[in-house]
Amino acid sequence: MLRRAELWGGLFWLAVGMFAAWQGWLLELGTLREPGSGFVFFWLGLLICAFAASIVVGGLRGEGPLLGELWQGVRWRNVLLVVVALIVFGFLFERLGFVACSLALLLFLMTVVDPVPPRLSIPISIVAAVGVWYVLEKVLLVQLPKGSWLEDLPFLS
Amino acid sequence: MDVIAGLAQGFAVAFDPINLLYCFIGVFIGTLVGVLPGIGPISAMSLLLPVTLSGTPESGIIMMAGIYYGSMYGGSTTAVLVNIPGEAASVVTCLDGHEMAKRGRAGPALGIAALGSFVAGTFAIVALMLVAPLLAKVAVAFGPPEYFSLMVLGLTILSFLTQGSMAKALLMAAVGVLVGLVGLDQINAMPRLTFDRLELVDGIGLVPVVMGLFGVAEILANIEQQIRRDIVQSRIGSLWPSRADLKASAGPIGRGTLLGFLLGVLPGGGAVISSFASYAIEKKLSGTPERFGKGAIEGVAGPEAANNAAAGGAFIPLMTLGIPPNVVMALLLGAFVIHGLQPGPLMMSQNPKIFWGIVASMYVGNVMLLVLNMPLIGMWVQVLKAPYRILFPLILMFCIVGVFASGNAVFDVFVMIGTGVLGYLMRKFGYEAAPLVLAFVLGPMLENNLRKSLILSEGTFDIFVVRPISLACLALAAVLLIAPLLPALRKKREKVALDVTD
Repeated sequence: MLRRAELWGGLFWLAVGMFAAWQGWLLELGTLREPGSGFVFFWLGLLICAFAASIVVGGLRGEGPLLGELWQGVRWRNVLLVVVALIVFGFLFERLGFVACSLALLLFLMTVVDPVPPRLSIPISIVAAVGVWYVLEKVLLVQLPKGSWLEDLPFLS
Repeated sequence: MDVIAGLAQGFAVAFDPINLLYCFIGVFIGTLVGVLPGIGPISAMSLLLPVTLSGTPESGIIMMAGIYYGSMYGGSTTAVLVNIPGEAASVVTCLDGHEMAKRGRAGPALGIAALGSFVAGTFAIVALMLVAPLLAKVAVAFGPPEYFSLMVLGLTILSFLTQGSMAKALLMAAVGVLVGLVGLDQINAMPRLTFDRLELVDGIGLVPVVMGLFGVAEILANIEQQIRRDIVQSRIGSLWPSRADLKASAGPIGRGTLLGFLLGVLPGGGAVISSFASYAIEKKLSGTPERFGKGAIEGVAGPEAANNAAAGGAFIPLMTLGIPPNVVMALLLGAFVIHGLQPGPLMMSQNPKIFWGIVASMYVGNVMLLVLNMPLIGMWVQVLKAPYRILFPLILMFCIVGVFASGNAVFDVFVMIGTGVLGYLMRKFGYEAAPLVLAFVLGPMLENNLRKSLILSEGTFDIFVVRPISLACLALAAVLLIAPLLPALRKKREKVALDVTD
């Protein structure tokens, strides 16, 4: 029963609903004549709690798959690698700049996650990163991070 | 302004060279994302939303609309040749389309899909042109209670039509409203759930949420599987269907067009459900239903017409009421808002150039799709051969670029990563993202209209039931909410969900 996906999914949303209701309460409910900022939050929170509770009950009754079954026979390592790569990308994006970061991300994904021969992965990564940078920066005039390390270089600052 | 004068003005806008270019880019990208499994119109539109800022409002919206109906068109190519739906509305086309292809009839299957799409798309535009002005006149009388009830109905229909548990779908809708309300209170400017972060004061952006829930989550779900593509190897041959094919397809195209248009207009309905409904009807009406699933051309013609007509019909609630009936229209609403425009009953009188320009560009776009795509089938087949392990890193990079460009903030990239992981887990645990996104867009409008209604009625809920339109919407929503509790209806709903899954 405790290994049911429905149970844990329902409990997660139950917590979200309770949090929303609590925040709504703190924001002031107001009156029916003049609902306050927290009015909808509070009632939505309770609604979420009600739906989540029905899902939890389903889980307790043994409905739905087991948690382990959800990741059985799949390449979950790939998912984990991509998520970690994206988070690292997010932290380094402004520091290293768009081109360096994108190049590293593309090479990582095409080398480690789902390998592509280097004769393809290297040119594709370079063309994609530089090409997108060129179209956005030069054609569409969208500013992308250049990277603080580049800005520190005397001839570019 | 009458329809003919409006349309003339619209064609003047649509034939402006820059708008023609935007229309071409839109239908081309739309077909491309329709062809490619793993990226759909929602991701492509979110990605290109910031690009629309560089042009005029009509150019940007013409391009976005082109992506939508172009993707409906492109989805059928993948369904027929690879047996994978390029986008959700083409799931049914796989059944008979791929069977036809395996029997050496890929050409007629693709041809009838293109022809059916063209006929349905054109009908939908004519109907949009005729119905929208009438509905806009009625919509002027809509007040906050009507808007609130209509939005509740839309969310309920969408939740009803999603696969699996309705409690989960409704929960997603409630969560969507909640997330949509983050930021400053529209009435008294009080910050809500901003956690003292400046980035959240204006609310959470639509683009990062959509890109996360649909783009990143789709990639995460795909890379954990070994994707195998069974591309038809035989020559495609002539695309033009035979006289017998045309005769057999005329009825299904006509019925699919009408059905698709009507379902497309309904808030919450849309291309996916209309294609399934059309397939079911054609199978029921056929004297030889056993042919369905084994390469019946009616099974391609009807659903393809239905999903394209629905795509056109979906513009009506957005243009006349300002209410997006599905996620794609919600993104289009985002494009309008970015340009300082508010679609709704006054749009036709206040911004006739934009309204009629979009309508006329849809005619042009449909012709472009037919003229360009029939000879380009070979190119799309080559695109389909690109391995996913090369495509997904590129799609991921485009997602990041699109999100960053929409708000120029790394915070948005983190929102996308967060919602991407959430979306992936939601798929795993059986929660659908569509009700969440539609509710996210409707959330602020829903709250605003609810609070205004209560202020107007001095705190009583009677205001929602004494007005006939509001009452009708709420009554229908109540029926849909109660329906799954009745055993007979529950079985029917589960059957629809099962068919969709299959």
